[in-house]
Amino acid sequence: MNPVFGHRGMPGRRDAVERRVMAIAVVVTAVFVIIVGQLWYLQVLEGGRFLDASDKNRIRIRPIAAPRGILFDRHGTPLVDNRPAFTLSLIPRELPRESASRDAVLGRVASLLRIPYQELQDAVARVQLDSFLPVRVRRGLTLGDVAKVEEWKLELPGVIAEVEPQRVYPTSRFAAHLLGYVREANDDQLRQGRYRRGEMVGQSGLERLLDDYLRGQDGGERIEVDAMGRPVRVIQQSEPHAGAQVITTVDRRIQEATERAMEGNAGAAVVMDPRNGDLLAMVSTPAFALDRFTETIDRNAWLRVVQDPRFPLMNRAVQGQYAPASIFKILVAAAGLQEGSITPADSTHCTGEFRLGNATFRDWKEGGHGTVDLKRAIMHSCNIYFYQAGLKVGVATLLRYASAFGFGASTGIELQGEKFGLVPRPARRGWPLGETVNLSIGQGPVLVTPTQVARFIAAVANGGVLWRPRIVQRIERPDGGLLYSDAGQVNGHVELSPIVWEFLRRSLWAAVNDGGTGAGARIPGLDIAGKTGTAQIIGKSKAALGQDHAWFAAFAPVKDPEVVVVVLAERGGKGGEVAAPIARQILNAIFFEKVAAIEIGG
Amino acid sequence: MLRIDRRLLQNVDWALLAAACALVLISVMTLATLSVGRAGGVVALRQAVWFGVGLLALVAVASLDYRRFVRAAPALYLLGLGALALVWVVGRSVSGARRWIVLGPLSVQPSELFKVCFVLMAVWVITSRGAQPMGRTTLAMTLPIAAVPFVLIIKQPDLGTALLLFPVLMVLLVGAGLRLRVLGGAVATGLAALPLAWLVLKDYQRERILVFLDPVRDPLGSAYNVIQAKIAIGSGQFLGKGVAGATQSQLAFLPERHTDFIFAVFAETWGFVGCLVLLTCYLLLLLRGFDIAGSAREPVGRLVALGMTALLAVQVVINVGMVTGLLPVVGIPLPLMSYGGSSMLASLVAIGLLLSVRMRQFQ
Repeated sequence: MNPVFGHRGMPGRRDAVERRVMAIAVVVTAVFVIIVGQLWYLQVLEGGRFLDASDKNRIRIRPIAAPRGILFDRHGTPLVDNRPAFTLSLIPRELPRESASRDAVLGRVASLLRIPYQELQDAVARVQLDSFLPVRVRRGLTLGDVAKVEEWKLELPGVIAEVEPQRVYPTSRFAAHLLGYVREANDDQLRQGRYRRGEMVGQSGLERLLDDYLRGQDGGERIEVDAMGRPVRVIQQSEPHAGAQVITTVDRRIQEATERAMEGNAGAAVVMDPRNGDLLAMVSTPAFALDRFTETIDRNAWLRVVQDPRFPLMNRAVQGQYAPASIFKILVAAAGLQEGSITPADSTHCTGEFRLGNATFRDWKEGGHGTVDLKRAIMHSCNIYFYQAGLKVGVATLLRYASAFGFGASTGIELQGEKFGLVPRPARRGWPLGETVNLSIGQGPVLVTPTQVARFIAAVANGGVLWRPRIVQRIERPDGGLLYSDAGQVNGHVELSPIVWEFLRRSLWAAVNDGGTGAGARIPGLDIAGKTGTAQIIGKSKAALGQDHAWFAAFAPVKDPEVVVVVLAERGGKGGEVAAPIARQILNAIFFEKVAAIEIGG
Repeated sequence: MLRIDRRLLQNVDWALLAAACALVLISVMTLATLSVGRAGGVVALRQAVWFGVGLLALVAVASLDYRRFVRAAPALYLLGLGALALVWVVGRSVSGARRWIVLGPLSVQPSELFKVCFVLMAVWVITSRGAQPMGRTTLAMTLPIAAVPFVLIIKQPDLGTALLLFPVLMVLLVGAGLRLRVLGGAVATGLAALPLAWLVLKDYQRERILVFLDPVRDPLGSAYNVIQAKIAIGSGQFLGKGVAGATQSQLAFLPERHTDFIFAVFAETWGFVGCLVLLTCYLLLLLRGFDIAGSAREPVGRLVALGMTALLAVQVVINVGMVTGLLPVVGIPLPLMSYGGSSMLASLVAIGLLLSVRMRQFQ
């Protein structure tokens, strides 16, 4: 018997009304079937989609930005550090799916934080809408902004204020060119596809060179929240992996001293260890403010830096190309002595003028230096002596030596954008002798960078070994694992007789310590050897007087050289008057203990 | 006090009672899983207490002859109307709707209990001498019974309960043998008058109907409930997410989850299979009710049974229909499942009347 429609004791008669009740029951049953059909559709056919939607409801992605790797100096002192800062980010997947409500959210953000609406639209337009990866829209939020975002978070799905470590520098211009600035990936970098929009990328210097090491890997949390957006529990967590730590060859103390010494001058200074090619300091002035680039910088401020006629973004230590001027005389002397074209005993009477055909070449000193031998010619930087010496050596040999000492070619330094300078090809015919005369004092068709000069002086100091300038000693993972190490590399050698080296070193010592042009760099008790240079600017006019580039290249101590210091002051004037005192200040800082000991000990 | 006949006890419809008890058990369990702050267990406990109270009422109602209730219908009906009117005077407002009367620690929702009075009144009128034979006169006599409370309830505003009255009345008239042509005419007239009804509706009620027609109209506003309910139900999939995994319900994404949307909570937790079990209980309950109506020997009993069954059936269908997105959202509780004393009491009294009819069908 049917348990539902039992007819207990009822007569089998089915009247019309009973049939109507039956019909209603059938209709109700049919409606139930429709409901079951709808449930089948929702739960079985579309269940996966709704499960996704429920996850999207409850799970919030909180990115944890990886701190960028830290750059240390050779003694383990940090050159840059990180500090937490707030960044406004959009999580595309958590933004509303419908474009109208998404626009409403972005509009709310725009008016709340006074960010141009278009900027937000652009940021979203270029990413996949189901992406979990945060799009970093604005850096350097104030605490007030953060509070606003938190307060409105229910009306701002997909909008978060995340903590992102940001670079902090000892001073805003400290080692600006060497370290380089960090900034959001630009359009070109985005087009290469290696970076995401809003990602911080090293744009110059070591930050750019080592970006892959320094960048680290962002982590994140998946947090379950309730309908009020309150976190309930952490579902999944991936730790951020901090970027690798870079131990450079730089000595922060020397770098700072060098920057102080260069203050007020445009130019460059390079401090190098001649024993291994380590760069202890590299300064280019004027410098730019590193931290100005890190935060969102407005267009005008950016253009002011980029279009500054003093080119603050250029790293003059490797990109500035200058006439070597009298520094080149060291090379002429080396070539002449080694090739036997001149001897230390050869002397000339300098009247201040040298005639070659119809042309008259002058000495820098009115009236000349009188009778000078090679050593005195180096000491006093006598042009007349070197005009003759250059002609004796011959242009081909000079240029061969110039190339051998690494001029006109890469030093092998890892910094990007290095300029190679210029050493002309030795032409067999059609080379005017006047050019040879100019070349002999480092003018004319030869250009060098301060780093090339430092490497050259280092070779003089160490007896001919040309080191590849080393900046990065090693790169370590935060846990200590070694990722990269550079033991230094010799990438050139100039073979000269030991007597020649010795002669050059003594002459350069005398230039500083025996009343030569480098007297301005003299520190009693410290045996500094050095050479001045004054690069004339072509097209010399009255207005350009005193607009020469001042060079000074030195090493110390002369017996067992530990450092090479090269200073170039653009339009500074005479090398001996401007560059030598700067070098002296740098050397004083480097050897301050030694100097102090000598002064105390008498 | 009550003299209980052995023969009456033999005819108790245990299947009907069992289905009702199973549903209340499911309700209490579901409510217990919902953590509503510190009041989590309290809600389930209160529901259980209301079930106890309702069960006493059920026994009391069942032990009395249903004909006594029908005879008392005019008085009950007027009492109910009075209570509905009283809501306007002393009613407590909850989220913009005046539906409750506060009596000490209790708040009573008169419209819930009124539903039962309404059915009894309709039966009284239909079976009265003046209404015979069934025809347009009957229709004309019964319509005001629905229309007057309709206006009172819709002003509360409580669109769902108000709309409930007409389908129930229709079922009663069909069961009473009114010619379908007459009824059809009335329905057609009613539909033609719908545009007029649009003018009476509150803005939020209009919005809900528009949102039903176009769910993405306002995803954070009116459509939020429907979207969240669908997500909850759908994400339950075939076997459900279990109590701990039912995030839509547990994390409060689902609104009204104790009351009108409790079906979605259950569906998320127990999935399609659980829904089948639940719906089977309801269908069993309703089919027993229709059976009682069909097998009743005299018209009053048949109409009381039919009316009570229709009352439950329409509520179940509208509630589940709206939660699953088949119908627009109107506030109607799911009988025996949704949290609420008035609703529980009304449903159990209705079942008590069904039992009363069944027990006396052979007298």
